[in-house]
Amino acid sequence: MTAPESAALPPGDAGRLLTVSSLSVALKPGAAPIIAGLDLAIEAGETVALIGPSGAGKTTLLRALGGQIRPSAGAIVFNGAPLSTLSGRRLRETRRLIGFVAQKHDLVEPLRVHRNVMAGALGRWSDLRALRYMFWATASELAEARRALDAVGLAEKLKEPTSALSGGEQQRVAIARALVQAPRLLLADEPVASLDPTTAAEVLDLLTRLCREHDMALVCSLHQPDLAQRFFGRILELQGGRLVRDGAGATPPSAHDPGRA
Amino acid sequence: MSGSLLQVLSLYTPYLSLSYLQALVPPVIDTIGLALGAMFIAFALSVPVAIADALKLPGARLVLLALTAFRSIPELTLAIFCVILFGVGPGAGLVALALYYAAATTRMFSDIVRTAPSGPLDALRATGASRLQIALFGLLPLTQADLLTYGAYEFESALRASIVVGAVGGGGLGSELVGSIAVLDFHRVATQILVLVAVIAAFDALAVQLRRHPRWLLLTAPFGLVAVVAYSPRLLAFDHAMDVFSQMLPPEITSDGLAHLPERLLETLWMALAGTGGAVVVAMVAGPASARNLAPAWLAIPLRRLMELLRTVPEIVWGLILILMVGVGPTAGAWALGLHSAGSLSRLFAESLENAPRRPQAAIAQTGASPLQVFAFATAPLALGPIAAHAVFRLEWNLRMATVLGLIGAGGIGQALYEAQQLMFYRQMVAYILITWALIAPLEQLGQSFRQRRGLLRAAVA
Repeated sequence: MTAPESAALPPGDAGRLLTVSSLSVALKPGAAPIIAGLDLAIEAGETVALIGPSGAGKTTLLRALGGQIRPSAGAIVFNGAPLSTLSGRRLRETRRLIGFVAQKHDLVEPLRVHRNVMAGALGRWSDLRALRYMFWATASELAEARRALDAVGLAEKLKEPTSALSGGEQQRVAIARALVQAPRLLLADEPVASLDPTTAAEVLDLLTRLCREHDMALVCSLHQPDLAQRFFGRILELQGGRLVRDGAGATPPSAHDPGRA
Repeated sequence: MSGSLLQVLSLYTPYLSLSYLQALVPPVIDTIGLALGAMFIAFALSVPVAIADALKLPGARLVLLALTAFRSIPELTLAIFCVILFGVGPGAGLVALALYYAAATTRMFSDIVRTAPSGPLDALRATGASRLQIALFGLLPLTQADLLTYGAYEFESALRASIVVGAVGGGGLGSELVGSIAVLDFHRVATQILVLVAVIAAFDALAVQLRRHPRWLLLTAPFGLVAVVAYSPRLLAFDHAMDVFSQMLPPEITSDGLAHLPERLLETLWMALAGTGGAVVVAMVAGPASARNLAPAWLAIPLRRLMELLRTVPEIVWGLILILMVGVGPTAGAWALGLHSAGSLSRLFAESLENAPRRPQAAIAQTGASPLQVFAFATAPLALGPIAAHAVFRLEWNLRMATVLGLIGAGGIGQALYEAQQLMFYRQMVAYILITWALIAPLEQLGQSFRQRRGLLRAAVA
């Protein structure tokens, strides 16, 4: 195991996907910060596991990286754009490049599976096209949904009601939605916490493999250090809102995992 | 319609002398007391019956079915029946209201108690606990929050029903109102409507607090008990009551009545469908436009106030105003149902949209979707189930209410029933009561199974 690395930014961040500097996040103004002065850099295509005890601030960090909550101090620069200060249309356009998979309750259960999957394309679609698709899906749209579902092994569930799927299947649909979205960065908040160990390993294998194939960086929070070791290229440990460890995982770095070890 | 609106409004200049307002205090107290007393009886009956049923005590199911059968008889019809048996006055009103609410709460309570989580109950059973112990340590604590929440919802509905029951001689403000209408004293009618709207608005405000703190409902229990004692019907004329009852049987219908029956049923059905349909269309627009998470405050807040105003006026009062504008008949009835339901459904639709689960909406927003796309792909589909349940529930409600509106000349089966009562053709009246029941009960059953299938029982509580 490598010794904890310094989390300070190395000089020269050309081509860097995400740069976080002195990030603090408090859920209410004046409240104690959940994330306190955190620095982090993530390269394109990296697979990063985020571990740490409950209450360490994993979810808050992921939500801040996704632009869902505003930091109280510090900056997040994503793909060259200052995410922490964007709003309105600019924020939406940037968010489109950041996918999110949550623990559960992430899908719109009353909709059919293909609509949940193609929701990933909404950032590219006009409002008119979105409304039309709600009532009538073209063959090419269904084919795109099928391709994404095929990648997660659920092509046959294309037209099923989403509520009829199991927990593991729902997580795969959420991953298929992320594939359609084709973000540069995928954030996953304990995507396997509600799954049994076998399914959890399957879903993580799928997730990390697809991210490598599609050149997506992945930041995924987890409870199980062993799974983090097994599937990820880099492991971050968070405690009390600070990074206490930044090291390599067991998975050999791919072409896109710049040698961190 | 604006010309006739002005004419109607000039007829309705309220009569506001201090002595008259003081004279309205006792009927207002009667109306509130009847509602509290009826709620007290309803709770005292339905909680034990629902729990006994859930514990599968022998005979409990029979009592439950007998009680819930009253659900499909409109409160007004029950009141007419009770007035005939117990004489004019708050005693008849109390019995009618108590029966009606016992039926409504028993049905809902038994659903709540039967859907209580089984895990803790099985654990109790495994300890060898008796049925009573399971009720005390398991069922009641597990369901009390839902029971009280539902009770808080019924609270304001009981007040409205108390006014309606008064209209046929059940006492209180409703009796005063119908008295003033009978002598065409529209100035006093206007005063009474204003007082009534004020009382309902105050009750609504109280009910909002109750929903936030359902436990406070228990504080009304002593007042309810006092009201039960004060208003219980005197059974001095028991022989007379039995005598009248025997005149009601067997039910009969004249050949003339039979010939008009299809037309009357269609009128009632049309009233309910048109009123509900119109209200749903209005609420489809006004609901999203007054939802806090969807519409800007400058639009949402005034629209909410307007819809609350529509809802605060009971259907029967809208009916009184509209009959003067569009004339006697089902059109006035449909408008009356439509206006009240539009206000009611707008609020419920807005609440359903506001209460849609947040996380799927956040997930769709994360894809870079525009606000309209988030609405179409997440908020709307997530809220559609509860919205449909509210609409179906409102249709059931309006079918019952359509028969009630017959009383003020809106036509349909309700008017035939009311006329038979006024002319003391009690056997015909009973026939019409049975026909009304046969009309309403199947629709309620359909609605119930719709909610059960969609797992939306609780959504329909409002």
